[in-house]
Amino acid sequence: MTRFPFGRDILHRFEGNPIITLEDIPFRCNTVFNGTPFKKDDTYYLLIRIEGQQGYSYFALAESKDGLRFSVHPEPVMQPAKSGPFAKYEALGIEDPRLTELDGTYYVMYTAYSTYGARIALAKTEDFHSYERIALVSEPGNKDGMLFPEKINGEYVRFDRPIGKDCGSIWISYSKNLYDWGRSEVVMQPRAGYWDSYRIGASVPPIKTNHGWLEIYHGVRMNPSGPIYKIGTVLLDLEEPHRVVARMEEPCLSPRENYERIGDVGNVVFACGAIVEDNGEIKVYYGSADTHICVATCSFDTLIAKTLEGTT
Amino acid sequence: MKKRKQRDIIHRWEGNPAITIQSLPFKASDIWNAGAVRVGDTYILIVTIESLSGHKDLYCARSENGYHFTVDAEPFMIHAEDSAFSKYEKISIMDARITYLDDTYYISYIGESEYGFRIGLAKTDDFKKATRLNFISEVDTKGGALFPEKINGRYARLERPADGGRIWISYSDDLVCWGGSEAIMSPRKGFWDASRIGDAVPPMRISDGRWLMIYYGIKETSAGPLFRIGAALLDAKDPSKVVARTNIPILSPREMYERVGDITNLVFSCGAVLDGDNLLLYYGAAKSCLCVGITTLDDIVNECIESEGVY
Repeated sequence: MTRFPFGRDILHRFEGNPIITLEDIPFRCNTVFNGTPFKKDDTYYLLIRIEGQQGYSYFALAESKDGLRFSVHPEPVMQPAKSGPFAKYEALGIEDPRLTELDGTYYVMYTAYSTYGARIALAKTEDFHSYERIALVSEPGNKDGMLFPEKINGEYVRFDRPIGKDCGSIWISYSKNLYDWGRSEVVMQPRAGYWDSYRIGASVPPIKTNHGWLEIYHGVRMNPSGPIYKIGTVLLDLEEPHRVVARMEEPCLSPRENYERIGDVGNVVFACGAIVEDNGEIKVYYGSADTHICVATCSFDTLIAKTLEGTT
Repeated sequence: MKKRKQRDIIHRWEGNPAITIQSLPFKASDIWNAGAVRVGDTYILIVTIESLSGHKDLYCARSENGYHFTVDAEPFMIHAEDSAFSKYEKISIMDARITYLDDTYYISYIGESEYGFRIGLAKTDDFKKATRLNFISEVDTKGGALFPEKINGRYARLERPADGGRIWISYSDDLVCWGGSEAIMSPRKGFWDASRIGDAVPPMRISDGRWLMIYYGIKETSAGPLFRIGAALLDAKDPSKVVARTNIPILSPREMYERVGDITNLVFSCGAVLDGDNLLLYYGAAKSCLCVGITTLDDIVNECIESEGVY
């Protein structure tokens, strides 16, 4: 019988997956997942979400020379605020960071979680070790915020994921100062009948290409046994990024391996960042089953070409 | 002997309901609520009216005495009439709240579309023609009400995001981009406002400088939600601080026209007008008619202050 192990998904799993698990964390915690990468001077930094055994999440930092084998720093780098204006909205943890370099500054958008709901918050860092909070930038009930790596028509731009009429969709918002946001527009919605029929949200901070902004997003389908999270792609207009150029019909990565199907939240692959290498390869970093961190790769050109075959 | 007048802090006008389906110069399904303002000697309401097809639009009603209103035959604003805004108001526009600010009458309203509910902002000079400005909230946020003056140099608004059913405040330099959002008041377990709350009437500065916030509270019952109206006072300098809040509602559904209608057991307000020391509260009842409630500012403020400080 012929088997085609690499033909299953457009993104290929690294054979060393999962690349970070509980055993790689030098302090006691519950799980590690959803890391956002940045490559600087041949060093890969991965800001990772740790869920403590108390149940709330915070961030740690992993470093690597090859983007595949990481070591985790002995202390967490960002904890929920215990005092000041952020404490009220981070009482239940900080989650799902996304790093964007913009005008020479490294910004992190993350989800602040409290009894007041999930909100998007913004911080910045110079060394990936210490983080300076800037502002809470969304209303409650909003998450999956991430900055575009450049201004568009002189304004900062972000994706966000509010829920309207019980439907989680990808929206875009604009700002002149990173504090006050407005002119929100819906970018795209779940597709009935598809793998992303229940809920979608932006995942990887958008990557500029000749064909538009490439957004690697997550889509959810609700099954009788619970949700199944997959990863898909869409290209958006460079000038008016709420306009869809092409949206891939298929997911480019689906939960299949045991480390993706088995964990605290099974059947989840959820990306929070990617690195496009000089050799034309894209490394997509994703959390699996809310329990591990993994990486999957493919040719960046292939990913763009496959996305361009999609529909609007 | 029945003590009708003592039941609620807000007294009902004996002519209620003031506007009914029968008094409209056109066919309609429901009357929801109204924003209110007095311009010179004319009382103006912007009434949310649901057509027989199920879409909601905004109509002006005018009165010389604040009680007897005539509804315009033509709508003031209709959903999806302007292509730049229609995407987010394809289904309805509703819940107009009027704020006089910078010599302009601003109207915050809710646009409803397949994407959810958003706060829209428009303005008018004459209550004949409205100019739409922007959608100013994220999706599924309602209850947008501008403060009638800037707070520490910034525009401010109250709002009710769906998540949590709380009242929030946000700020803006330009009425376009908004930030600094803070949760200011939450539902109270065990109280009449236990399930959800939202701002109702745009905040009014009272003589001691504090802000009067008339809000609505919902208690879920086995027969469905019970909508009532309460009041709170916000700090004069920092309106994100609640300094007093009524433990009891100031108006509860009791009359037939408040209990019987397309949505039962509902009183819901988007506007009030100060007439000397008197406050005229315009409220929708049972989604089917519009009513006038009367009280004094002192009665409301005293009830806020005398409440036991659960907020």
